[in-house]
Amino acid sequence: MELAVNFARELGVEYAEARFQSDVRESIILKNGVPEASILGEDKGISMRVIFNGSLGFASTNVLTERATENTVKQAFRIAKAASRFLKRGVSVGKGELEEAKVEIKPRVKFGNIDLDSKVLLLKETDEAAEATAIKSQVKIPARILTLDTWITEKTFITSDGARVSSITPRAALFTLLTAYHPQKGTVQRYFNLGETGGWEVVEKWNLPELFRSEAHSLSKILIEAKNSPKGETDIVLGPEVMGIVSHESCGHPSEADRILGREAAQAGETYLKKDSLGLQVGSSVVNVVDDPTLKGSFGFYEYDEEGVKARKRILIKEGVINEFLHNRETASVFGVESNGSSRASAYNREPIVRMANTYLEPGDYTEEELIEGVKDGVYIKNFMEWNIDDRRFNQRYVGLEAYRIENGNLKERVRNPILEITTIGLWSAIDAVGEYLEFQAAYCGKGDPMQAIPVWTGGPHARLRKVRLGGT
Amino acid sequence: MKRGEIPLRIVDLGIKQGATDITTSLVESYRVMIRFSNNEITVSNIYREALINIFLMIGRRRAGTTVAITTTKNLEATVKNLIKVAKITPPADVYASLPQGPFHYDPSLLKSPKISFDPDKLIGYVEEAINGASERGVEKAAGTLIATRTKMTLATSGQVYETQEGTGLEMSIRAFASDIASGHAVSITRGEEEFQPAEAGRTAGEVAKAALNPKPGQSGRYIALLGPMVFADLINQVGILSSAFLVDAGQSFLVDKIGSSVASERLNVFDDPTINGAFGSRAFDDEGVPAKKNVIIEKGVLKTYLHNSTTAKKFGVETTGNAGLIEPVPWNLIVEPGGKSFEDLLAQMDDGIYVTNNWYLRYQNYRTGDFSTIPRDGMFLIKRGEIYASLKELRISDNMLRIMQNIKDLSKSRFWVKWWEVEVPTFTPYAIVEDLNFTKSTM
Repeated sequence: MELAVNFARELGVEYAEARFQSDVRESIILKNGVPEASILGEDKGISMRVIFNGSLGFASTNVLTERATENTVKQAFRIAKAASRFLKRGVSVGKGELEEAKVEIKPRVKFGNIDLDSKVLLLKETDEAAEATAIKSQVKIPARILTLDTWITEKTFITSDGARVSSITPRAALFTLLTAYHPQKGTVQRYFNLGETGGWEVVEKWNLPELFRSEAHSLSKILIEAKNSPKGETDIVLGPEVMGIVSHESCGHPSEADRILGREAAQAGETYLKKDSLGLQVGSSVVNVVDDPTLKGSFGFYEYDEEGVKARKRILIKEGVINEFLHNRETASVFGVESNGSSRASAYNREPIVRMANTYLEPGDYTEEELIEGVKDGVYIKNFMEWNIDDRRFNQRYVGLEAYRIENGNLKERVRNPILEITTIGLWSAIDAVGEYLEFQAAYCGKGDPMQAIPVWTGGPHARLRKVRLGGT
Repeated sequence: MKRGEIPLRIVDLGIKQGATDITTSLVESYRVMIRFSNNEITVSNIYREALINIFLMIGRRRAGTTVAITTTKNLEATVKNLIKVAKITPPADVYASLPQGPFHYDPSLLKSPKISFDPDKLIGYVEEAINGASERGVEKAAGTLIATRTKMTLATSGQVYETQEGTGLEMSIRAFASDIASGHAVSITRGEEEFQPAEAGRTAGEVAKAALNPKPGQSGRYIALLGPMVFADLINQVGILSSAFLVDAGQSFLVDKIGSSVASERLNVFDDPTINGAFGSRAFDDEGVPAKKNVIIEKGVLKTYLHNSTTAKKFGVETTGNAGLIEPVPWNLIVEPGGKSFEDLLAQMDDGIYVTNNWYLRYQNYRTGDFSTIPRDGMFLIKRGEIYASLKELRISDNMLRIMQNIKDLSKSRFWVKWWEVEVPTFTPYAIVEDLNFTKSTM
């Protein structure tokens, strides 16, 4: 890789970066209690990023020979040079606190120490726990899919201006979609991800059979008991899972500096925020939203970003005011600031771009009970299924799954599919109280072209919103 | 050993080591992607890959892997390990042996037209697209140009050994006449002759200009004209969720609907990879089965799910040639046209909404088909058959089966659509949908 960077320098580039990434993965798919197949994968290769006369070129290959590497450098240079004639402004890499470092996350229990039989057995026990729980409520779960992924990511990259970082990161993740069915009541579905950095110990910690018993119980109750959700203006309490997706979609994405510059305009879109939006009031004074890659064990964990900048916590909204954007070195140079270490790439053959890591609403000092007690007539939305947001990140919709009516400060009957359709500023401004316990959920954030699905956590405590409208219009 | 012989060698190895069935593909690809925004190139990417996909069975025990090209010794070790993994993988519920060849493939589908990867030529396409949009007076344009060449050599224990090639050119361009007035258009082709980046730019520019000064829309149920990009997204849902794997997993609104009416009688949807020169055409699937046209919906009735040999065995039918070794997938989705022009369709709307593009489609329940998606780019209020005003801030919140049943008319003209939001190449007309539910944010 050093040779590659030196070779690029000899070609006359302003900046060069060589990156090796290997992802060694094992996936087990259990569908309706039956193993589909064991899938192994080794996704390994190198990429080269260069800037020539302000033109950014990227090339990658999975052929790991000296000749192929040299050719990759030439390709990146050639395409950057050709495109340089079509530039007005061009790009450059701004300053950052560049590091030389080695980071290794050591698993307590290596994935290889657990045999395949045991992993499949765990999924089967989990699956059976869900089925057995539902049947107690005369509900069936006829369609169940569980996918367990474990993988180890190894990265090394060096830049022509002094960054040199290697890392080894093991991760485990579980995806599921459950369909509960009752002949008179129809179906409800629940979809979620679990994901953490670490070895097999994180899977053990999830206590999957117990978790799925709880999920199946909840789905059965929703199906049998939930009544129509109230509509109209009301107070609501949103659970951590909902606050997590809200923090991600309605704060994290709009804060990405590459969106502000229009770089994603034809794909994931732009943002309602502008370059001069720092200081803009978008929420109430109890709203503090951060993105923090340094949370140990988190799905979005990293210590150094893909440009060698040391990761740190970013305070995106501080006391309701836009405080900071997410930057890589390219966007930071346009904004005249230092990169805050937000550059990530999902694989060796993907360009590093501005990404979130673990985005969450910071806790306040209310207990969950206090939040509920403060509502005379409202709805508690614990989790959700459907959500989306417009490509300027201003109009969003979250449709609850497990939800309850609140009456005189007490949780009452379950309600079905409460719909919160609201603007970003409307949502953040309606929050009057924030809970004290923080929880996280795993997700794969999608952005970039080609698409880069990247591991993140979304999170938050419970939060209370005053006088919002439920049920759409 | 020549590179193209690697799959054969691996299949031999797998059988010798105890696999009952084995398929191996060598996929070599070269792709250039030039991305632009604010009328300027932002990054130029080149991807070169050679991957080997191995999938083997020992009866009902199945295992698969994807690795890079490596030495013969390493490949032998990979096969040995995969056999070991398959042996300890608990058995699936069905065993379907790989389809037995040899098969005859349409020679015209094995080859693809040559395209140039000369950087200057590709950058020229980008300039053409941006200039096309600029001709219509927009402020700026963003988008992606992709040129791809792939070569797949497949060998299976079912006596398949063949190579198919593919090429593609894609222009996706979004033009902005203001921060909140935009239009999007695409051009996707196999070869250079029909590639029209400038036309895509002009179309995106025209929509963006027409979308200037949008007013907040009013929620409610409207008759809607869905442009090809929107209808392609909905038809993608039909095509992708007709995969028997997803049906079995409950991730589809088409569960238990074979033989039932799932759409208006006007709707006919095929998956047809045999159209010579079409973007997603191919000679054979990942099990070596010759590609064929499958009727998914005929006059509104669901005729088939899409199958590989394993899902077919489970459902008691024949494979449809849509393997995907785990999940069957559609290749080229085709909607039969209607008889009217765009203007005729518009003329039959007294008070409706024309949506040119959408994104972010998410389900509340795949099984029932309840979902929402967000219009983006030009959206227009139609009064007495004419565009009356530009709209913003509405969301389509409805049910997939209801929408399909409410298709009232389709245009004569059709367009190929594939872009960041629409995964499967789709040839689609405009569609008129009655009683479509639009919602909006409050506060």
